[in-house]
Amino acid sequence: MNILSLLIFLPLFGAALVLFLPASQTKYFRLITVVFCGLELLISALAYRQFNPANPSFQLLEQADWITLSLGSLGAVSIDYLLGIDGISLPLVLLTGVVMLVGAVSSWQINHRPRAYFCLYLLLTASIMGCFVALDFFLFFLFFEFMLLPMYFLIGLWGGPRREYAAIKFFIYTLIGSILILIVMIALYLSAFDPYASLQAQSIVHTFDLRYLADGHNYLPDSLLNGLRPQQLLGIDARLCLFLVLFAGFAIKLPVVPFHTWLPDAHVEAPTPVSVVLAGVLLKIGGYGFIRIAYNIFPDAAAEYADFLGALGTLSIVYGGFNALAQQDFKKMIAYSSVSHMGFVLLGVASLTPEGLNGAVYQMVSHGVLSALLFLVSGVLYDRTKDRQIDNYRGLAQPMPTYAAITAIGFFASLGLPGFSGFIGELFTLLGGFQSDFLPKWITVVATLGIILAATYFLWTLQRMFFGPLWSQKTDISLLTDLTTREKLMLYPLVALTLVLGLFPNLIFDLSSATIGEFLKKF
Amino acid sequence: MNLSVAILLLPLFGFVLCFALGKTQNDRVGWLAATTTGLGLVLSVVETLHFAPHELTLKWFNVNNFTFSFILRTDHATLLMLLLVHFVALLIQIFSIEYLKSDPASYRYFGFIQLFLLAMLGIVLAGNLLQLYFFWELVGLCSYLLIGFWYQKPRAVWAAKKAFLLNRIGDAGFLLGIFCVYQQFQTTDFSSFTASNQLTTVGGLLLFCGCLGKSAQWPLASWLPDAMEGPTPASALIHAATMVAAGIFLLFRIYPLLSPDALIVIALVGAFTAVWAAYYAVYQTDIKKLLAYSTVSQLGLMVLGVGVGAPQAAMFHLCTHAFFKAGLFLGAGSVIHSTHSQDSTQMGGLAKTLPVTFGSYVVCAGALAGVPLFSGFLSKDIILAAAFYWAGGQPIWTYLIPILALASVGLTAFYMTKQVKMIFFGTFRGQISAHPIAESGWLVKIPLVALATLSTSFWFSFNPINPDSNWVMPLLGGQATASAHWVAVVSTVVAFVGAFAGWKFDYQRFVNPRMNFSDVFFNHFLPQYTKFTARFFYQTDLKIIDRAVAYFAIGSVVLAHILAWFDRHVIDGLARFGAWAAGAAGGITRSFQNGRVQSYFVVSLVGLVLIILLFLI
Repeated sequence: MNILSLLIFLPLFGAALVLFLPASQTKYFRLITVVFCGLELLISALAYRQFNPANPSFQLLEQADWITLSLGSLGAVSIDYLLGIDGISLPLVLLTGVVMLVGAVSSWQINHRPRAYFCLYLLLTASIMGCFVALDFFLFFLFFEFMLLPMYFLIGLWGGPRREYAAIKFFIYTLIGSILILIVMIALYLSAFDPYASLQAQSIVHTFDLRYLADGHNYLPDSLLNGLRPQQLLGIDARLCLFLVLFAGFAIKLPVVPFHTWLPDAHVEAPTPVSVVLAGVLLKIGGYGFIRIAYNIFPDAAAEYADFLGALGTLSIVYGGFNALAQQDFKKMIAYSSVSHMGFVLLGVASLTPEGLNGAVYQMVSHGVLSALLFLVSGVLYDRTKDRQIDNYRGLAQPMPTYAAITAIGFFASLGLPGFSGFIGELFTLLGGFQSDFLPKWITVVATLGIILAATYFLWTLQRMFFGPLWSQKTDISLLTDLTTREKLMLYPLVALTLVLGLFPNLIFDLSSATIGEFLKKF
Repeated sequence: MNLSVAILLLPLFGFVLCFALGKTQNDRVGWLAATTTGLGLVLSVVETLHFAPHELTLKWFNVNNFTFSFILRTDHATLLMLLLVHFVALLIQIFSIEYLKSDPASYRYFGFIQLFLLAMLGIVLAGNLLQLYFFWELVGLCSYLLIGFWYQKPRAVWAAKKAFLLNRIGDAGFLLGIFCVYQQFQTTDFSSFTASNQLTTVGGLLLFCGCLGKSAQWPLASWLPDAMEGPTPASALIHAATMVAAGIFLLFRIYPLLSPDALIVIALVGAFTAVWAAYYAVYQTDIKKLLAYSTVSQLGLMVLGVGVGAPQAAMFHLCTHAFFKAGLFLGAGSVIHSTHSQDSTQMGGLAKTLPVTFGSYVVCAGALAGVPLFSGFLSKDIILAAAFYWAGGQPIWTYLIPILALASVGLTAFYMTKQVKMIFFGTFRGQISAHPIAESGWLVKIPLVALATLSTSFWFSFNPINPDSNWVMPLLGGQATASAHWVAVVSTVVAFVGAFAGWKFDYQRFVNPRMNFSDVFFNHFLPQYTKFTARFFYQTDLKIIDRAVAYFAIGSVVLAHILAWFDRHVIDGLARFGAWAAGAAGGITRSFQNGRVQSYFVVSLVGLVLIILLFLI
């Protein structure tokens, strides 16, 4: 079996193992999960070794006919099981490997219905990996939708007090996004065809292959989405209209303001490992969807709306930043900071410059590592005291010096201190925005407000919670113990990773730049 | 290995060493740190002796055929700064060993100092703007860590945050300035900067924003006086001698890019800051805060120097200032160490009990005030002369700039004399404690004496009273134009008048610090306003977006109920009606089949009649 298939099917196998193990073996569930997530990381590392960064096209391809249907006058439909990676998806596959493993370790003390939990967790792993390696739009959509199921239950069953509300909000928001994507998928299916298969069959064979969809020549001349003779839809050019629909679908996932309010609620209620996965990798599917699907299929529309999209990115940066500043809940503050940081991704993508797009990919990886770190940090406190109100603590640095040091490092790394990964991501997305011919300068100028705001909310939190004389509102101070070995085992590698990425940005840039160089030729 | 690399990596080694050994060897870590820096000083001297300007380029990373390099640049300015930073840092760490003797976490202090040195040397050796920015932010971090070193003190943590945030505001502008440079020249390497291709004025001013924050220029100045919450030797090193001077060093590096319009703005900001800060210094009674305002004022003078086209003079003043201001801060530290107080109204008559501190303090104060034979005289004078010379070639209103500079000279002499009088002369006004006030050990005295010695003009000029014969400026490429000697005379007179007034006036008139609008803005207005905006946006989230979603959800449920009602009553109703109608029809027809022959007969008769009628009509 090929490596990429292994990435998808291995966790499924793990899930089956958890499912069929006798109930007396409960203690092995978590071990199985950690082992399988570890294997996932190993396999993604193997994929990294086999990947040739100089080659901009898709690699490690796997193709198998899956569904072929003849639909009479509508032609035939062919849906393939098509997997492959390039310089944009590989960094995210590696990130997924790391974050899922960390999340698995962090799930160690889940005692409530462990069989269901770990089974769903492994299903989630498989579907996320599937999203990043699928090259057939239908297959991608399948994984994208399937992800909702484990996520809904993981929040709704293992979450905090308002978990049902958060879970349903998350579910409905994401489902609306999925429907928008589905609409575009159907329109694309009706418009595009597979040139080789059509030639062979001497009739129109419709396809969901993203490689064909990205090529303007593969659209039927009179179809809705052909680029030559624009058709109208809702009063505007159909391609522009459907691009916006597709964009909105992924914007909910990223999330882009004003589609973001599911995120803080989901994070506050989700258990720590689920938050880690949600912020660490799930949001990245939104950014990945922009590049791989929306921008790749509709480059004309993307260029047309670049200033609008860039402005939305800046709005997310600034709006998210201010919102983070207003939070009383430690975890909600971090959740809003994620909104702000993902705004940089949109800004970088919208800039359509090599700096901006490489920066966006880099920022996704960097934010994946850092948000995992920060959500773990908030979980450490919550595990001990069940209370995350910032104002209920003072001077935590005294009883918990290592914890305070790790938090401070995480905060500084997130606010873009050079040497850590956050700096490179923000620097390059901003530089790209500034260099871009598509964006007016004010968009980037306003976006720099985001780096000031990030410093403000992180340092203010640090000042209020960790420094000053020791004091606690509700909690017995003796509960405030420093990090355990298991916590260190999760946090230290993440700190090391953000430092390594910050000092050697070429670890990511070398992977992404060839693909992005090729990608930008479309614009 | 290249010497520059070794010089840069030594403090990193020191940093790791401090934290690795700190918990067990807390008392000895200071010596290790000082030794590391001493070694760095030796390497710097070796590098100076084998001097050849060069750049060492190390590839850092590529983005789409564009290479970002890590360049270690060594030229005269670099060497000057290397020697200066190492030397001052060495003395200050020696001083700190005594000063922080009883601190259980002094390893953290020395570790941070080493980290700071790494960052500072990184700035000095940087060969392009991006790399400079990298280390620029790191010195900001070290400043944060050292101001907030005593993190149990809420005020210290607050001041640390304020310092970092005000610097961040400046740095956001700086970053945009770097983007401007990058866009215009496709590179940010210093070696590619020449006077022939200038940056736009906006770009130049954006770069200058970095200097506004780091070198505490108005309007971003007010963090520096608050930064005095940190340990005094750290203040001496980073908030007086080296880090705050990084802004000047930046201006020196980017000087060729700056347009004339940008330079005028820079000169105005510098001149205003010089007087503004000197005015507030007059009213300070906290000995460290007075020195902090004085630092802001002197940095303003340096910025002015760059603005009037004399960046070499600014660098020269940076050097002399580093020694005498570090000397003053360490002197203040020695006083604080001995009296356990920072309030100069509670001092007096300390000249007798602290003779070494007194001697060195007076020498350094003389240098700061610009008294002839002391180093400050030389450098300050060159800046003043340059300013007058520059204004001669500009519109008449630009004479405002040298006149403001001259005013700051008078004020400087005034407040320093006032402060020296308050601390060292008269009678002791504080609480007499059980421990008599006495001079600290030799670890404190040696740095004081060394810095005082270096505050005299003999070290910097072949002719100690002629500023033009200094050796620093020619090294940096400054023209040896003969400056107007009347400027030296006038400034000396102004300084003496200021000093005389400072001695004569009753200090009681200058003990209430004036309300500082910059402080009001940054401590109250801006945080309040930001918090208000933050809450407003959060309310938008809750009240508008979430509520809209909630109404949408409620609307959907209501619609669902309406549809359900429709389903039950209309659609089901139709279905039921159909069923009923079928049943009814069945009932009617069934009623015919009642088994009675008579009724069948009637029905057939009616049928027959109907058929006949049909035929007839």
